[in-house]
Amino acid sequence: MITQTLFNGLVTGAIISLPALAITLLFGVLKFPNFAVGSIVTVAAYAVFALNVQLGWPLLVAAVVAAALCGAFLILVDSVIFRPMRDSGSITLMVASLGLGLILENLARFFYGNAARSFDLELSMPFRVGALRMNSEQLVAIGMSALLMLAMYLLLMRMPMGRKMRAIADNPSLALVRGIDRAQVIRWTWMINGTLLAGAGVLIGMDRALEPLMGTNYLIAIFAAAILGGLGSPLGAFVGALIVGTSSELSTLVLPPGYRTGVPLCFIAAILIWRPQGLFGRPLIRR
Amino acid sequence: MISYLLLMGTIACFSAILALALNFQWGLGGMVNFGLAGFYSLGAYSAALLAVKAGANVFVATAGAMLVVGAICGIVALVTLRVAEEDYFAIVTLGVGEMLRLVVLNEDWLTGGALGVTGIPRPFGPSVASASYPIVQFGVAALVLLATFLFLNVIARSPFGRVMRAIREDEIVAATLGKNVLWARVRIFAIGGALIGLAGGMHAYYYQYIDPTQFTNILIAYAFMAVIAGGRGAHAGTVWGAVFVIVLLEGSRFLKDFIPGVNADQLAALRIILIGIGLLLLLLFRPQGFLREYRLRTRPEPKVNAAGMVTADR
Repeated sequence: MITQTLFNGLVTGAIISLPALAITLLFGVLKFPNFAVGSIVTVAAYAVFALNVQLGWPLLVAAVVAAALCGAFLILVDSVIFRPMRDSGSITLMVASLGLGLILENLARFFYGNAARSFDLELSMPFRVGALRMNSEQLVAIGMSALLMLAMYLLLMRMPMGRKMRAIADNPSLALVRGIDRAQVIRWTWMINGTLLAGAGVLIGMDRALEPLMGTNYLIAIFAAAILGGLGSPLGAFVGALIVGTSSELSTLVLPPGYRTGVPLCFIAAILIWRPQGLFGRPLIRR
Repeated sequence: MISYLLLMGTIACFSAILALALNFQWGLGGMVNFGLAGFYSLGAYSAALLAVKAGANVFVATAGAMLVVGAICGIVALVTLRVAEEDYFAIVTLGVGEMLRLVVLNEDWLTGGALGVTGIPRPFGPSVASASYPIVQFGVAALVLLATFLFLNVIARSPFGRVMRAIREDEIVAATLGKNVLWARVRIFAIGGALIGLAGGMHAYYYQYIDPTQFTNILIAYAFMAVIAGGRGAHAGTVWGAVFVIVLLEGSRFLKDFIPGVNADQLAALRIILIGIGLLLLLLFRPQGFLREYRLRTRPEPKVNAAGMVTADR
């Protein structure tokens, strides 16, 4: 029972690690928490749905194309909405992301309604490994999340663009003095955001179903994961997501399942009270 | 038509109080509240349950709701003492709001869960003929709004109001000047919370029926829109902002006459999309709002001419 719950939690953690990494990267570069993240996941999932079910493309191809489209869309959104507000403080950007989230969620509702939908996938039978029941969707979720995490690690640690992103997250003025093109880094960050969020959309759509609130439902868990790991720390986001996923599944053993989403909130509260920099963040030096 | 306007006016009154509460916390005090919908529902449920289950008088129930929400908000501000950054505080309030929503949804024995609470009494309900009730209802709501407005104006002009603005602009400077920033933050959030509780109670009495679907996060967007449109910190502006949002919401009901072939769900989605676009346009083109916050004015400096003589001030 416990191992089964742990495994389910691992799957949930793998799914939320992608958006958690997305907001943590964006926070590093643009310094605001993006509340639209849940709705972007939803819209990306519906984009995959349109390509996969309505045009009949294979799911993998649909996901890759949707990821690219989602990244391009986010770059466009940034240049129209967020760039003009860049200097007016993080609260303005937060409120704007809230508004953007409402627009996107309701665009999905406008075009596809409130009914739950699913991708064009063959039904897979759950199978047993030892005492564990699992299905192929869950394995895909873990595999895909691990793959994207590895890719992100290589990008951030081994590639010039990753180094630039880290430099800007670390010290924007110094990065600027060193001739790093901030606009280019921001575009890349949104592109990566698009890929990660579209990936999360596919995984949530496979694990549960597509509906207008599919991404927003995870919003608290996503922020809990990112804060637990320390906003701005990619490795932290990954570990934080696994902790949040497993602990909220484990909580269903002792608490009514309705409170599952309350557990991440307790993590947020605890971490902000005792260790505001997160598990993997460094203490901020403030003015 | 008159009674429709009276009903809309009543809604505008408690929406304006909600917006004023957000303006107090965020506009004047700089404490952003993304859990507004949760706190608002806490106020509505507290008032409704006190009146329905505990049998309290409507006014006692309202005071109870203000106390409950004020206390919870105060505790939130107290435990987040190390979370001075606006971003983190926003996320904490978002989480607390979500938690309140979960409690309302799951504790059926108290809140009725998804079914909500019915049969909520109205102020002066039994003693007024139902035909003339909208007038009384609007009158009471308008008086409460006026009282709130005057109360906030007094606070904004008091020494505490200046401390609030100082903390909003730079809390380190305020602390350096010997102001107790933590205690002030607790008071700001608690007073704002009490006002949210007041608005929530009025919401419950107006509809006489509450359920979780009335308190979705879209309320947060409405309230922020009212405050931003009115001008952060400007009380009169915030009231006008709330009226503007209500007119926009009501007006967009007539969209269906212009756009054929949309069903009710699509129309609801379209209205929220329009509100969202309005919020973004506001942030892009008029982030400072349409009215200005109260400023302490002193007499103009006497002009000094080249010879060092003070000239007549004209």
